[in-house]
Parts: sequence; C-alpha cells; structure tokens
Amino acid sequence: MPVRSSAKAIGVLAMVVIGLVVGAASAIIALKHVGMGGEEYSGWSGSRVTGSAEAGPLLRARVALTGLLALNRSQAIYFTRKVDDLGEPLREDCHYRLVGGPLPGKWWSITAYASDDYLPQNQDDALSVDASEVTPDKRGIWEAEVGPSPNPAMPWLSTRQAGEFDLTLRIYNPASQAQRDFASIAFPKVERISCGDSR
Amino acid sequence: MRGRVLYGLAFIAAVAVGHVVTMLAAPQVIMHIAMRRLSGDGESINVFRFADRTTAASRQIVRPSPDLAYASCVYDLSAGPILVDVPPSPNKGYVSVSVFAANTDNVAVMDSLRSPDGIRFILQKERKLVHPGDLPVIYTPTERGIILDRRLAPTLEEFDQADKARRDDRCAPVG
Repeated sequence: MPVRSSAKAIGVLAMVVIGLVVGAASAIIALKHVGMGGEEYSGWSGSRVTGSAEAGPLLRARVALTGLLALNRSQAIYFTRKVDDLGEPLREDCHYRLVGGPLPGKWWSITAYASDDYLPQNQDDALSVDASEVTPDKRGIWEAEVGPSPNPAMPWLSTRQAGEFDLTLRIYNPASQAQRDFASIAFPKVERISCGDSR
Repeated sequence: MRGRVLYGLAFIAAVAVGHVVTMLAAPQVIMHIAMRRLSGDGESINVFRFADRTTAASRQIVRPSPDLAYASCVYDLSAGPILVDVPPSPNKGYVSVSVFAANTDNVAVMDSLRSPDGIRFILQKERKLVHPGDLPVIYTPTERGIILDRRLAPTLEEFDQADKARRDDRCAPVG
C-alpha cells in the first residue's frame, strides 16, 4: 500500500512539474505572438498604455518581452504590423511599397524587426526609413521601399536576413489628438509589389 | 480511474499556475536582466554608460531604434537620492530622458522641447524626504531602475554630435 501511495505521489508531482513547464511556455508564446492587445487601425496595432503605469499585468509582460523601456504616449506612440495590406505575413523575399501621408508628430520612423525582436542581420545600413528621408509630393504623400534590395527611386528599408518580420512605426512627440484617438492617424499602407525573383 | 482524475486535475492546476506566475514575473525578471546588462554586471551603478550606434549586431535591448543614440544609467537609491543632469544636443536636436522603475513603469519623461537648455532633476524613492532645493524631484516606486537618455541621431554625423553631447551626462548621488 505505501508503495502505491508513493507511486501516486510521484505521478502527481510529475504532472505538476510538466504542468508548470507547459503553463510557462504557453505564457511566453502568448506574450510573443498574440500582439499587444491594443487597438488596430489599417493593419497597425498599438496600445495607449505602453510604458505607462496604467498598463495591466498582461500588457506589462508583453512590453517587457517585446518592447522593454518603451516611452509613454506623450513622447512616442508605437504601432506594429506583421502582415501586408492583403493580410499576408511580411516576408524577407518580398518587396513592399510603403505609401503614407503626413504623420502627426515632430518626427517618425519605420523599422523592420526579425522574429527574434532584433534588427535583421545585414550590413545594408538601411535599418529604417524616417521623416527626414522621404520626399512628400504636393499632397504630402510619400513612398518608400521595403525589401531585400533597394529601389533607387525612393528610400529603402532593408529586410535582407529578416525572415518573417514585422514593421514598427514610431511617432515621436505625437500631437495630442493622435494620442487620444489613434483612428485619427492616416497610417501608411503596406502594398506587396512582388515576391521571390519575380521583380 | 480516481488516479487519472487526480493526475488531470494536478496537471490543469499546474498549467494555470505556471501561466499566471510567468505573466506576473516576466516584467521584473526581464528588467533585472536588462539592469544587469546595462550596468556591466553591476559594475556601473549611478553612472551613465553609452551605447554604440545601433546596428544589426545590437543585442542589449529588444527592438532597438537605429535612429537614436542611447545612454543609460542603472540607478540605486538605497543610499539616498541622485542628481540627474543631461545637457542638450547641438542644434536643438531632440533629447528625451525617461525614468523606469524595476517593474517597467515609465514613471517620468522629460524632453528638449520643454527643457531646451538641458534636463536636471533629483530622483528619489517614494515616501522618502523631499530633497531641499529648487530642482524638480521625481519619485520612483522602486529603489532600483533605469534612466534612459535618447537623442535623435539618424545619420552617422548626427550620431557623432549627439555622442559628444551625451558624454557630459551625469547621474550621481546628491551631495
């Protein structure tokens, strides 16, 4: 009888250990892949409470894992997207066209991050496009290239060695209207131009 | 049969506990790791350290911005408040200084738009005595945390200018 009891205790203990590991793993997967749990506009998702003491435990954990030391919304607002305008995942072997208008802040930039949340491992010196690089037309519309090779006609954000990546838009010193209402922001479009060697 | 139910219940309860505890502990654990990295394994406390220009090889903090020059100070207020002094960048370049508590809260942020002549303040723990003097006082809920100086520097030339300015950053005990 004692043998059966101790076997059962070992079995329960094993279940507890396995359960703890599975629970911890599920939390990390959820934190990394479920997004910021905020608001989504035109494919870009962001949260009003990133970096703020108002953030709840879930958002706080997500920020810690994927955007530690983020500024609060009075200084910067952050938006991320993992898919193009057709809803397809952003891929290193595709070329995309960023098309945007005036963004409501003192300065902005768009950066690509690989799935490990770090910059793509390339030496192209084209890790982002920003407000100082683009050339808006008379209507304020600007374009930029996102892909593994440059387009000489416009600023380039290199995704070489990025694998499946995401784009992060940072708007610094955002206008108060933009801080209050993300829907008021005219977000850049991300149009897929071509994939593979078809360009 | 009862044994299987017992195993199943133990497993489900452990999954729930593991999930919730990981969520709650992640910010503190990750901040602890960041503080250790940014302070050179605890060797540089209450002093600014200067990150190289962000490149594809940068690995200290996730999702670094390649457009900014970073300087960081891991603070420890156990011996009292500290004075933080961050001079401006040349040509009125954008500078922001943010204070993070050990639980990831961004407890304060100041910038060159509101303080074009430089950013100076006293940082101390909540519920401690206010430091006498004219400087603004910022309170943080935790004794340790990180102060981050970000300067706009999208080009190599602008980075070199910002780097020169940030070398005068100070983050040291008062008195």
